[in-house]
Amino acid sequence: MPQPVQYRGMTLIVPDNDSEWKEFYEHARAHRLVVRRCTACGLLRYPPTHACPWCMELGWTWQEVSGRGTIYSYEIVVHAIQPGFKELTPYPVVLVELDEQRARPTPDESLRIIGNLVRPDLTPEEDKNVAIGKRVRVMFQDLADHMALPQFTLTDEPPQGRVWRLA
Amino acid sequence: MKSLRDKYCIVGVGETEYSRGSGRTTRAMAVEAVRNAILDAGLTPRDVDGMLDYQGGDSTLANWVAPDLGVRLNFYMDVFGGGSSTEALVGLATGAIEAGMCHTVAIYRSMNGYSEFRIGGTGVRAAQPVRSLDLAQVPFGMRSAGQNFAMTFMRHMYEYGTTSEQVAHVKAAHSTHASQNPKALLKERVTVEDVVSSRWIVKPLHLLDCCVETDNATCVIVTSSERARDLRRRPVHIMGVAGRVSKPRLDFHWAHGPITRVAGYYAKDIVFGQAGIGPEDVDVTGSYDAFTFTTMLQLEEYGFCKKGEGGQYVSSGIIELGGKRPNNTSGGHLCEGYTHGMNMVIENVRQLRGTVDDYCPRAAEGVHTYDYAPGRCRQVKDAEITMNLGWAIPPTGSALILHR
Repeated sequence: MPQPVQYRGMTLIVPDNDSEWKEFYEHARAHRLVVRRCTACGLLRYPPTHACPWCMELGWTWQEVSGRGTIYSYEIVVHAIQPGFKELTPYPVVLVELDEQRARPTPDESLRIIGNLVRPDLTPEEDKNVAIGKRVRVMFQDLADHMALPQFTLTDEPPQGRVWRLA
Repeated sequence: MKSLRDKYCIVGVGETEYSRGSGRTTRAMAVEAVRNAILDAGLTPRDVDGMLDYQGGDSTLANWVAPDLGVRLNFYMDVFGGGSSTEALVGLATGAIEAGMCHTVAIYRSMNGYSEFRIGGTGVRAAQPVRSLDLAQVPFGMRSAGQNFAMTFMRHMYEYGTTSEQVAHVKAAHSTHASQNPKALLKERVTVEDVVSSRWIVKPLHLLDCCVETDNATCVIVTSSERARDLRRRPVHIMGVAGRVSKPRLDFHWAHGPITRVAGYYAKDIVFGQAGIGPEDVDVTGSYDAFTFTTMLQLEEYGFCKKGEGGQYVSSGIIELGGKRPNNTSGGHLCEGYTHGMNMVIENVRQLRGTVDDYCPRAAEGVHTYDYAPGRCRQVKDAEITMNLGWAIPPTGSALILHR
């Protein structure tokens, strides 16, 4: 069984029988963002789940995605709860809508993923630069030989739709 | 949708003190709250034969609470859950009675929510390893309830122009209500300005947008309308109930939008359908205030105003005592104390009985002044129908409609 990973005071556990996450993190450690693709209907889903939420098919394959997307919502944690995060405050958490499969299979559904918005050196992005509508790309934070966290950083692409942040 | 409208009643309610440091076990508190509810109903331990409770590995289960009181059970069950459980268990209690499994059910929640197991994910909860689905959020510093819910409100601000000031009215109103409530933990009245100038916890939530972690136990007792008739209190009838109604993709609700839509979207037709009424018929609401905005979001989702107009609704005066439809007249989770929903049901039962425990000299007899100036009355005049909107997480909620 892989060693539990210590990160900011948390113990992250991905045992060998974690049939959802184990390979996800192997890909992440190789700096590939993967999601599951249903072998029957072809729809992508995240987080990794056992069956397809749209057609109940059990068959799936990993599919690499671009890791590019748009900030759909966000929050700025000013008062950290976990002791290991106190030195990071204020830090942004973003809900990113990936470019693949936007507004599918219904207009309100999309491939969305949560991460921190960080600068290229993995420190938290400044509050004033975080806004709904801004474009981001994935980057990876290596935690151990067998684990990396997908994080997001701003790109210089033009925003998608209306740009808005909490004043 | 099948309805058991008016076949079942809430006949007893009880609670312990709301404190931040009970200095005793959840067993001791549960026993006291259940005992208070039994006495309130005018029942004896022999009259109660069902017990339901909810907890998150942080409480004492029914098999230790019932024997303490001399209650022999024909049915009991301990349910895993927090917010939105009260309403759901009231529904399950009616189902257990309807199935002939028992005849009178005590439902309790007991928690040292401040001194032992804090909701915020500090202490015992923070030490738990992060695995499986939690890996999609927790490693990013997203663990507490506020951190889990904040992005829902942020998107609502983006889509509908809702403001911090608008939802701050929820805290201001509930603090006014709590100032009329001798048992409330936070009795001091606060203003909208106080809320928006309090420090940030997780933007867009300020400190005073968040409820107050509390030690307490609470209990309600459900039985049939026939049994309720000759009990001590005026029975409060159950018109409709919806339990743990959920959105698709409950595992990761961010995947299924709009994320500003909450469970009430699906629950409202169930609960109003059973009750045969609409939002306009409701006199008092108990919209769960884990945060100011959860009250707002549920009121609009259940149709008390148009979707997206919750900000205007909660800042219009409607939800205040003396307004058209007051919300959480005890002060709710923001001010009376955090109970995972049960105190809001208890308050609505007392409103329908006409016997809220305010500062009116003859409150115990049900005589009220209806003077809502500080330190006076919090009884709503002629309250006929109340509704509780229970919140668990954005994609899961429950609802309960009662009438006198």
